[in-house]
Amino acid sequence: MIRFLVYRLLSAIPVLFVVSLVTFLIMWLVPGDISAEIGGVDATPEDLAAIRERLGLDRPLLERALNWYAALLQGDLGQSYTLNRSVLGAVLERLPVTLSLAGIALVLATAMGMLLGILAAVRHNTLLDQGAMVTALVGLSIPDFWFGIVMIILFGVWLGWLPTGGFVAFSESPVDWARSMTLPAFTLAITQMGVIARMTRSAMLDVLSQDYIRTARAKGMRARAVIFRHGLRNAMIPIITVVGVLSGVLLSGAVVIETVFSLPGVGRLIIGAIQRRDFPIIQGGLLITACVFVFVNILVDIAYAWFDPRGRDDS
Amino acid sequence: MTVELPSDTVSIGREIKLARRRRRLTFARRLFSHPSFLVGFVILVLFTMTALLADVLAPYEPTKINYRFILAPPSAEFWCGTDAYGRDVLSRIIYGTRVSLRIGVFVVVMTGILGTLLGTLASYVKWLDGLIMRSLDGLMAFPGVLLAIALAAALGPSEINAIIALTVTFTPRTARIVRASVIVVQGMQFIESAHAVGAGHGRIIFRYILANALSPLIVQLTFVFAVSIVAEAILSFLGVGPPPPAPSLGNIIAEGRSNIQEAWWIAVFPGLVIAVAVLGLNLMGDGLRDILDPRHSGARDKT
Amino acid sequence: MAQVKGGELIFVQGSNPPSLDGMSTSSQASRNINMNIYETLYGFSEDIKPIPILAEGVEISDDGLTYVFTLRQGVMFHNGDEMNSADVKASLERYRIVGATKNLLAPVKDIEITGDYEVTFHMEEATPTFLEAFSSPRAPAVIIPEEDGDAEAGKNSFVGTGPYKFVEYVPDSHVTIERFEDYSADTRSDGIDGFGGHKTAWLDKVTFRIIPEPGAQVAALEAGEVHILEQIPMPAARRLEDDPDIKLYENLRWAFTTFIFNLNVPPSDNVKFREAVQVALNMEAIMAISSEGLYTLNHRWQYEDTAYDPGQIGAEYYNQADAERAKALLDEAGYNGEEFVILTDPNIPQHGRAAVVIAEQLNAIGINAVINQVDWPTALNIRMQDEGWNGWTLQMGIEPYLGPVGLIATLASPARPHFVVPDAGLDALYQELIKGATVEERLETFKKIQAHLYEIFAIIKVGDSGLMHAARSNVKGFIPFRFPRVYDVWLEG
Repeated sequence: MIRFLVYRLLSAIPVLFVVSLVTFLIMWLVPGDISAEIGGVDATPEDLAAIRERLGLDRPLLERALNWYAALLQGDLGQSYTLNRSVLGAVLERLPVTLSLAGIALVLATAMGMLLGILAAVRHNTLLDQGAMVTALVGLSIPDFWFGIVMIILFGVWLGWLPTGGFVAFSESPVDWARSMTLPAFTLAITQMGVIARMTRSAMLDVLSQDYIRTARAKGMRARAVIFRHGLRNAMIPIITVVGVLSGVLLSGAVVIETVFSLPGVGRLIIGAIQRRDFPIIQGGLLITACVFVFVNILVDIAYAWFDPRGRDDS
Repeated sequence: MTVELPSDTVSIGREIKLARRRRRLTFARRLFSHPSFLVGFVILVLFTMTALLADVLAPYEPTKINYRFILAPPSAEFWCGTDAYGRDVLSRIIYGTRVSLRIGVFVVVMTGILGTLLGTLASYVKWLDGLIMRSLDGLMAFPGVLLAIALAAALGPSEINAIIALTVTFTPRTARIVRASVIVVQGMQFIESAHAVGAGHGRIIFRYILANALSPLIVQLTFVFAVSIVAEAILSFLGVGPPPPAPSLGNIIAEGRSNIQEAWWIAVFPGLVIAVAVLGLNLMGDGLRDILDPRHSGARDKT
Repeated sequence: MAQVKGGELIFVQGSNPPSLDGMSTSSQASRNINMNIYETLYGFSEDIKPIPILAEGVEISDDGLTYVFTLRQGVMFHNGDEMNSADVKASLERYRIVGATKNLLAPVKDIEITGDYEVTFHMEEATPTFLEAFSSPRAPAVIIPEEDGDAEAGKNSFVGTGPYKFVEYVPDSHVTIERFEDYSADTRSDGIDGFGGHKTAWLDKVTFRIIPEPGAQVAALEAGEVHILEQIPMPAARRLEDDPDIKLYENLRWAFTTFIFNLNVPPSDNVKFREAVQVALNMEAIMAISSEGLYTLNHRWQYEDTAYDPGQIGAEYYNQADAERAKALLDEAGYNGEEFVILTDPNIPQHGRAAVVIAEQLNAIGINAVINQVDWPTALNIRMQDEGWNGWTLQMGIEPYLGPVGLIATLASPARPHFVVPDAGLDALYQELIKGATVEERLETFKKIQAHLYEIFAIIKVGDSGLMHAARSNVKGFIPFRFPRVYDVWLEG
């Protein structure tokens, strides 16, 4: 297990290196820089040149890249151009928002998805099955940002039950935190539960048709016990795989949902940085999100290995 | 291979051809008797026809501005109302399906080609495998939307750049799927026999391996198609999609979102069109998977 | 009107302040917040005349070469120190380095401390418009403690003398300021007056929330989660007109909608071509759509009935929508279908909307107009280049407010920001304008400028566009201005 972990961690290094190369490529391609944002629309070319010089933007990209790697080796991701804080600070400050959102959405999506999937599998080929699967598919097909806007109007304005946006820290008020997370997490979960529902259904159907389940049933075990003790446990492996993939998708979906619901998360930080050309934030932010993604995948691998010992050597 | 053929080879060849055609026929029949494939197929055909016949179907010029009819609600004159420029929303949606279709088709084609190329290369050329797979892992470590946004912002907002950005974003997973299925096929008996008979690499790759890796690829590509349509909308929503004044489903929503309460029709109708189109593609993908690859029905990765 | 002390007000704006260092930025998103935290020696009154704020007054020598500023005594900084002349000198010396419009101090040779509460400016040459420029809120020459004098741009401690002090900034979420209990109100007047006057902080705390989506902003206001929107989309404003919980505030003279030509490349290098565009445009249609209906048609390069109103000069070219004349001019220009690239961005919605309408109108008279919509930083980058664009849409917010000097300065030599190729005639008139000793003299010069702008057609005035604020009806005392004055505002009930 330890060897496996070390191997997984080491194999993350080339992946992260590729991530950083791609970020530099993007910055090399992107037109314009932050000088106009700082200097304003009336800034003269001289003003802009002075800002570029102050920020080191007049240096060649290769030099900037080498400096960045040198600083990275010392654990320094640099300073944001406009946010008045370090890149690491800016990202860490936002991470709780994004992780809350993606985490709650993952739990909701898994819970709702598994429920739909189990219902569908147990009542296979009935109206309930078809209804559950259509629900799952419709959820999958709705554009999430659009659905978010509709939810704001419905629950935020017309019914007035939930806030229309913004984030309250858990430490400040757990109730308000939950309220601020409900709509965005639900929006994100609705569009993802379909994947899990479908996976659960097919995995359950697979398992329920196995001989030992039939045997268990024949021996007179109660249906519910069969489903949970044998069926679900064995269906967990494919489900975990999907949950693992989903956690990446949810991090990605969180990016857009954060904008719709005005949540100060990492996704919005990076999108804002792209829009303003705040290069250190783009570089550092993308690297850290990639780290989170890789780390989540390692966790999934561990869970996988735990449920199915055979998977351990399978890299 | 200069073996003298028996005299009845020709008729055997004809037999094989017939059998193949029969197989194809039954395949088509099975596809179209599959309810979700059928429904999905009908939706896709309607969508495609709308796009192709936009000139005929659209009641107005999609870019015709009329400041006297700003934000008019749906009526007999404007079935889906008008937008903030007084343009007919229905006409814009009809023309907008063209952009979605073009983006979807091009992304699918490019992702298909690149994914197949990279996946086959990685599985076939041992020393390239590590390099290719690590690079793809790197691209997949980005949250997909962020990578597409960053690329679209870097390249500038245009339809072609959106296609490039989405292709780069979706190719890695496609390549992985191709690689995985090629590896499975490689190990199979008939490939070894082909090698033994002395078939060339190119022939083996095209005739046997790719043909057999095709079904998971096709299923994945229907999914890429669906995601591309949504992704175009997201790029437009964030201001890096295909630019105005030409309509795309995404930029119609983007333009309508600030007035969603006063003029819900601008953002709601194109959103529904996207949802229906994506639903159709998902249904088709499901049907294809059921028939091509019955073992794995139900589960699908999102990119 | 009994004011109520206490409470928290939530003000909503769409974007992050690029900086909370008052002098180093000219962005509106920053000004909204900073002008409640910092103050200047001089600033504009409600009717746009320089008035003393932190200064007691100024003595200008007859030759215009020395300005002796006396300071108000007993003014406290948020850090508890009293403001004196050393702070003023340190602030202004810093402004020369990091000030976003540091050129405004170019006429000042040196700044001398001539007393604990007195500084003297020695000028390079007499500059009659200096005090107006020095009072400009564009990138205000705010007074900060001496300790911050060496701080890099954006790296000061955000300490000022204003009625509110800085508490925290969480980007993409909010900026919080709270009442400064030791604020030294200016007792020379009874109430607020432009950027100065007698300011009273009634509220305990003000939060500037950053909500990027206009639809979400309106939703938050309707749900009662926030109190004031910097800008409400006009359709939403019309819907909420009769809502008893919401009050709308019109800020009609907010910005000029303009269209700038690139004089360096064909077809826009040809004055006849540009004239064709000018007479072809239907300004009413452009403004109705780009401003969502809150606009005034105005051909003047100043607001109507202000001190520098040039009257009807140029009106005969404005809002003509004259396709025949335009086509004749195109023939005269020898135009034969070259591409006319309109540069614009979606980040400031008026820009993108104006571009779409302009392009449609130009296509209608046979100009091959295409839109190149890119994001804002890219647009700013492209328009600085000699080639690759022909026309560019720009909302001029603060410049028209500043009067003719502030506006024409952005058009005059040296080349750029706005004109890739400077115009010698305009440059000469600009020099005449800043040397004009009195308002009357300057008005005469400005009339010549107005006429000249309608001869060279290097920039088109499309119209005046307004800004609609919206607030909950329990917000009292709010008066629309160039920034939200959250002092002298209180919450009822």
